[in-house]
Amino acid sequence: MAHQRLASRRIGAALVVVFLVAGLLVTRLVDVQVVRAAELREESANIRTTSEVMWASRGSIVDSFGNDLATDVDRYDVSADPRKVGEFRRDGAVISESVAMAEIAAITESNPDELLYAVNQDREAHFTYLVKSVSPEDREALRALQIPWLQMDLIRERTYPFGPVTANLTGMLGRDEPLAGVERTYNTCLQAINGVATYQRGADGVRLPGTTTQVKDPVHGGEVTLTIDSDLQWYVLQTLAEHGGNLGAQYGSAMVVRVSDGHILAAVDWPTFDPNDFAEAPVEFMGARSFSSPYEPGSIMKSIGIAMLIDGGYTFSEDRIVAPGIYQVYPGRFIKNFLGADTRQLTTAGVLHNSSNTGISVLSDRMPKAEATRYFRDFGFGEVTAVDFLGESSGQVLPIDQVDTMTRYNQFFGQGISVTAAQMASAYQTLANDGVRVPLRLVDGCTTKDGVFVPEPVGEPVPVVSASAANQTVRIMETIVSQGPLRPILEIPGYRIAAKTGTAEIATSSGYGDDRVISLAGMAPAENPEYVVLVSFYKPQSSRVSSAAAPAFHEVLSHVLKHYRVAPSTQPAVLPPLTW
Amino acid sequence: MTAFAYAPASSPRRSGPSAVRSTRQATSASAVPKLRYIVVLLAGIFAILGGQLLLSIAVSGGAYEIASLKSDVRSSEQQLQIVGEEISALVAPDTLATLAGSMGMVPDNNPAYLRVSDGAVMGEAIPASASASAQVYPVTAGTETILPPAIVDDVFLTISAATGVEASASDPFSAPADAPTVKPATPVVSPAVSQAEKPTPRFGGSIPSPITH
Repeated sequence: MAHQRLASRRIGAALVVVFLVAGLLVTRLVDVQVVRAAELREESANIRTTSEVMWASRGSIVDSFGNDLATDVDRYDVSADPRKVGEFRRDGAVISESVAMAEIAAITESNPDELLYAVNQDREAHFTYLVKSVSPEDREALRALQIPWLQMDLIRERTYPFGPVTANLTGMLGRDEPLAGVERTYNTCLQAINGVATYQRGADGVRLPGTTTQVKDPVHGGEVTLTIDSDLQWYVLQTLAEHGGNLGAQYGSAMVVRVSDGHILAAVDWPTFDPNDFAEAPVEFMGARSFSSPYEPGSIMKSIGIAMLIDGGYTFSEDRIVAPGIYQVYPGRFIKNFLGADTRQLTTAGVLHNSSNTGISVLSDRMPKAEATRYFRDFGFGEVTAVDFLGESSGQVLPIDQVDTMTRYNQFFGQGISVTAAQMASAYQTLANDGVRVPLRLVDGCTTKDGVFVPEPVGEPVPVVSASAANQTVRIMETIVSQGPLRPILEIPGYRIAAKTGTAEIATSSGYGDDRVISLAGMAPAENPEYVVLVSFYKPQSSRVSSAAAPAFHEVLSHVLKHYRVAPSTQPAVLPPLTW
Repeated sequence: MTAFAYAPASSPRRSGPSAVRSTRQATSASAVPKLRYIVVLLAGIFAILGGQLLLSIAVSGGAYEIASLKSDVRSSEQQLQIVGEEISALVAPDTLATLAGSMGMVPDNNPAYLRVSDGAVMGEAIPASASASAQVYPVTAGTETILPPAIVDDVFLTISAATGVEASASDPFSAPADAPTVKPATPVVSPAVSQAEKPTPRFGGSIPSPITH
């Protein structure tokens, strides 16, 4: 009986233990499978899961022929874990640390001592960069070295294949954001948003099928198309560099505009910088002065003034006037001519041809100043061009109440008014286009990543002066090339060309000094202008007269005619008389 | 626990001799179909398991294939980029001008055209002078430290070899460090001179045409 009871108690104890153990296991099971299930699943997934940056490409900036001016490329940052750097075996041979560094340096064109220094600086560090921004080719060569402690991480880098040629327009990309130019203004179109992919991977790094748990798709940037012809841009830049250097000029700007649609084919600033390597470039040469630096244009403005006067009905090209040697504005204030003090019997054409300050003063006296101001504004002075370039200056057209008697006359020969090269090119486009100003265009549009071309809005053409006024002015400007003293320099055999020179004095705090801005603006072929060219040099030293800008203007214009296959002129010019 | 205790007692009651007999009869009658069912069932289960295994192998094999194809795409993209960068470097106006200059070409700024319809010359054709400058001017205010990619140098050397221009003497793409010591005093005049010395036109005819392959 006692034996039986003992046995049943043992069974009972065993059962209790069994139940306890089972209970524990069940509790644990429920805990793992139900209570903490989510947490544990996440933890395990985390161990296997890896996230990967899916690089998106920033859009390219291309010229009108689709050449890349700015584009994204793959590069690699080479790094190492200093704790692991040491000798290793390759094909049975032991390669020492310094030999490995020498090999890396040879491929990446860096200094092996610097590489060793980077590693030796802190041997306990987990990470140090060895070489940044290595090309994919070099990366393959580095991989072939089979160095176990070498790490190479993909980065995206901006390159500007043509270097300085369009640097003034494209601007450049800083480490975090675009710094200037189209890169900055059109960042919304260009910018890329990197994606993220998270997936689980096996021990060998292969993505486990069906485990891609979350993907943020990379958003590639769109492409910005400029109206620029980079071949022409390069040629113009070379011309400015050659002649600007010879003249000892501080800087130069040039612009080539297509008359029919206002497309800027070349907008050049010399000197410029290399956007691939701009760390040490002088800041003053990193922008686009043709848009940002206004200056008092000087006589180049007289063509505009004559067109205004003809359009206003105050004169016509054969109109006879007497240009005095000295023009008295009011007692004590005089306007003199650049050359000669004789009283001359000039036609209006002769006034512009000879760039007579007194002659144009006689004429401008006929136009009320309010009307003149309105014309200046219609020509686009005093407001930024339709390009609206980053940092573009509006120049200055004084409000009517600030235009004093002297300024009123001065404005007609380009003083007391400041303009940018872009504005002046636009004004000459107006003269070339029968008096209708077509807003300038630098960016043609943005092609989104889906291939949809979104054109930049086209501005409404502004009728400024009548076709007759514009054409009379162009005829007069033709006489400057075909009959003026600059004929040997400016002439292009077979073509009719219209141009006007300008020598502007640079205003300083103590009045006008010795320094000049010399410029030339013109168009060809004169009978039906297709291209407008403007060239200007700031503070030339070896020669300060506008004729010094003529060789550069001539080279650019003849290159434009050749480059765009403009047929030579066939109709002879019928030009107005200059004197009477 | 009571179930355990009672179980042995209950079983004999159910399996009386008659029951055993009837079972045996049933077995003999339906043994073959039952075995067939079991075999079919097991075969089905194994087939399903086997199929699943194969599928899973295929899927993971596919994962490796995807991984390898993706890396192929990546490396092809990079090849494309490398070639694209080389092309960009070669079509850069600077490069073209320097290469043209090294071949003895000079700019001519007098546009003239031949009208095909009647053979008339449009414009006034004025030959360019051999002394016209083909120099490429530096355009930056700062120092230019970036050298063109190696491909540009390769192409220059190929062209110089083909045209007989002394490459080592006037290689405009060589590193600036050794430029002063290697370059002669007059940098890019050698092409014009070498052209003048040659009795026959370089490309063999009156109309300049490059040798094509």
